[in-house]
Amino acid sequence: MVQLRPRASRAPASAEAMVDESQPASEEEAEHGLLLGQPSSGAAAEPLEEDEEGEDDFDDEAPEELTFASAQAEAREEERRVRETVRRDKTLLKEKRKRREELFIEQKKRKLLPDTILEKLTTASQTSIKKSPAKLKEVNLQKKNEECEKGSDSKKVKVQKVQSVSQNKSYVALRLKDQDLRDSRQQAAQAFIHNSLYGPGTNRTTVNKFMSLANKRLPVKKAAAQFLNNAWGTQKKQNAKKFKRRWVIRKMKTPR
Amino acid sequence: MGEFKVHRVRFFNYVPSGIRCVAYNNQSNRLAVSRTDGTVEIYNLSANYFQEKFFPGHESRATEALCWAAGQRLFSAGLNGEIIEYDLQALNIKYAVDAFGGPIWSMTASPSGSQLLVGCEDGSVKLFQITPDKIQFERNFDRQKSRILSLSWHPSGTHIAAGSIDYITVFDVKSGSTIHKMTVDRQYMGASKRKCIVWGVVFLSDGTVISVDSAGKVQFWDSATGTLVKNHLISNADVLSIAVADHEDSFVVGTAEGTVFHFQLVPVTSNSSEKQWVRTKPFQHHTHDVRAVAHSPTALISGGTDTHLVIRPLMEKIEVKNYDAALRKITFPHRRLISCSKRRQLLLFQFAHHLELWRLGSTVATGKNGDTLPLSKNADHLLHLKTKGPENIICSCISPCGSWIAYSTASRFFLCRLNYDQDNISLKRVSKMPAFLHSALHILFSEDSAKLFVASNQGSLHVMQLLEGSFKHLHTFQPPSGGNLVTGHRESLGGHIWQMKTLELHCTVPAYNFPVTALAIAPNTNNLVLAHSDQQVFEYSIPDKQYTEWSRTIQKQGFHQVWLQRDTPITHISFHPKRPMHILLHDAYMFCIIDKSLPLLFLDLLDEKTLVAVERPLDDIIAQLPPPIKKKKFGT
Repeated sequence: MVQLRPRASRAPASAEAMVDESQPASEEEAEHGLLLGQPSSGAAAEPLEEDEEGEDDFDDEAPEELTFASAQAEAREEERRVRETVRRDKTLLKEKRKRREELFIEQKKRKLLPDTILEKLTTASQTSIKKSPAKLKEVNLQKKNEECEKGSDSKKVKVQKVQSVSQNKSYVALRLKDQDLRDSRQQAAQAFIHNSLYGPGTNRTTVNKFMSLANKRLPVKKAAAQFLNNAWGTQKKQNAKKFKRRWVIRKMKTPR
Repeated sequence: MGEFKVHRVRFFNYVPSGIRCVAYNNQSNRLAVSRTDGTVEIYNLSANYFQEKFFPGHESRATEALCWAAGQRLFSAGLNGEIIEYDLQALNIKYAVDAFGGPIWSMTASPSGSQLLVGCEDGSVKLFQITPDKIQFERNFDRQKSRILSLSWHPSGTHIAAGSIDYITVFDVKSGSTIHKMTVDRQYMGASKRKCIVWGVVFLSDGTVISVDSAGKVQFWDSATGTLVKNHLISNADVLSIAVADHEDSFVVGTAEGTVFHFQLVPVTSNSSEKQWVRTKPFQHHTHDVRAVAHSPTALISGGTDTHLVIRPLMEKIEVKNYDAALRKITFPHRRLISCSKRRQLLLFQFAHHLELWRLGSTVATGKNGDTLPLSKNADHLLHLKTKGPENIICSCISPCGSWIAYSTASRFFLCRLNYDQDNISLKRVSKMPAFLHSALHILFSEDSAKLFVASNQGSLHVMQLLEGSFKHLHTFQPPSGGNLVTGHRESLGGHIWQMKTLELHCTVPAYNFPVTALAIAPNTNNLVLAHSDQQVFEYSIPDKQYTEWSRTIQKQGFHQVWLQRDTPITHISFHPKRPMHILLHDAYMFCIIDKSLPLLFLDLLDEKTLVAVERPLDDIIAQLPPPIKKKKFGT
């Protein structure tokens, strides 16, 4: 039997299905919902897409008749189309990513040294060391070598003599990273001591206040040891001086 | 007596550097003091506290720990991560070994003196073996989480206490593993956001560990159980250092407020055998942080940021109560930092990294005794000569004619020629020093400015001829005994005098127990006047090769009691050109003229320090020191 009136439960679903054309997922879901909804209503052929105006239309038009098979075929078509679009999108994204990766590799390659020098270094049968001709600390080096031989636990020391890597010049290379590390550690240590003795939380006063304490307690109170602050308003004083000079010159110029 | 116009010079802005570590050597009764600029000084406590040797500083060396090891060897370690051994004979650095643990915060020698322990920034405690010529790394102990700031060995050598941030660890030496980890409260009976830094630990033979920390507490711990036994809150500010006596019945701590406290082990009641630690004496001799203390058998020694070294003898330990039992405060270095060119009235000031040349002001007014004459021409700052490199200047000198300046650092020697025309002055450095001239302990120009005497630290004395544009080497003296020969200050027990014209060994001054603090040769009579650290003055006649008559009579009579009781050594002797009977001497507090014809001395006292009339008021020095702790005084 053909039902003239759409079922309340189904109407919102079908409206959604018709409205969100752009969302294939929801459409799919809606379709699935509709499809699922069908068996409960019986095997009778029911119109899936009914005219909304069907209710208000007083035409004597009979609704379209759609067989179950055709509807099913249509649904499958829809599904296939949706799947196609998804797959296309995915492949597009993949390609984009691939292109980006290649671009990065290109850039990285450009940054590194040309292959010729790298080959030279590796064939010189030494581990690759960053060259730093500016810092040649020989004494340091010898000691580090000694320590290396002793086998003490030193992980940073990797100093070796590089033999004629370029143009028959033999020099000693030193890892800059080690020296920076050492300096930074020393600075950190000094900062620690400064902080713990003079940093926030310590009860420190200025030398001026310290030496003026005795003056304050005298029976005849005297001023502080360094009463004047000569550094106050230096900019103002400089400006005033300049202005005065200019004013005097101006006064001299105008004959009065 | 003679009238003098005294130039009171106050523009020498010399600020000594603060004391960082102090180490006392019991066997030789010597004290090693290291300062914040890397200088290490050695004081001979039995020779009236005279500073006999010093090692110049270096910019990269920030020493944090100093210790004596077996056989009179001195080691220091610092924030550059290296352990340095000092050669006391040659007065230079023997070698520096990198410990590979980052900056080193603490170092201690084992009771047997054959091993050295260092505490590093990364939390590791490293053990080194002391071999006859070097030190060798042995092994690491268990690594801790934060930096190791203080170390102490148990007198038997089996355990070690290490103080870190917020906790103290007790290690077993044989295995290197931690036995106990004792947590230190951040604040006395409370909580605080600031971490508690354990600045010092001491391990006693009965297993007690004494720790001092930044919350102002002195705590006693039992190392067998790892628990706190007693807690003393002695200060609002940090307690920075601790040192215990050999007999373990007293120890001394220094705080950041400048107070030094003495703790003693006293019986609970007058006839009980049970003893307890009691805080007995506070001393306030410092104005700034006391960062280092040491305990000799008879005295408490402290030094800190206010650059004074204070030696306080303990009354109960001294048998004879004489002037020795008074407080000693050593403020200024016992060596010369100023040289003067008489002809041109120039003064050369020596600082750590630069030299300043000033011309003295002049006046035309005259007045009575004690008047302050107004200057008609102010003092001129002529030259500011900076050295290159991180090393400190050891010694410097200007020739009497004013045209040569020589100075030396630990590795190089510099000679410059000055040219004067009208009022301008130009400096030209003489390059190409001879290879053997590395560093000099003392430099002296001859009276006619034609010869330069350089005493190197290898023990030889070089004589250079100074010509108009260049200079050439004339002669090298090698002391026959190989002792340390230093021109101007004869440090070894025998002094040698050479005849200048014939360049051969003329005579030998007989040896004396105490080192010489100053000597000078009188121009007219050719007598050598020596002043020793025990305040004895001798006069030796060079042509006759024996002591003069005056000197012999003085020795028979003995010096006046007041003279002998002066505590600072005589630093300079000079002579009045027209009065051969007068000798002018000065030390840190006094300037005096000895008239040989009179039976006694004439004293002319001036209150501040005079260095050939250069004054350095103590207040000025304090004004340039780092900030001290705030003290709340009632009514201010």
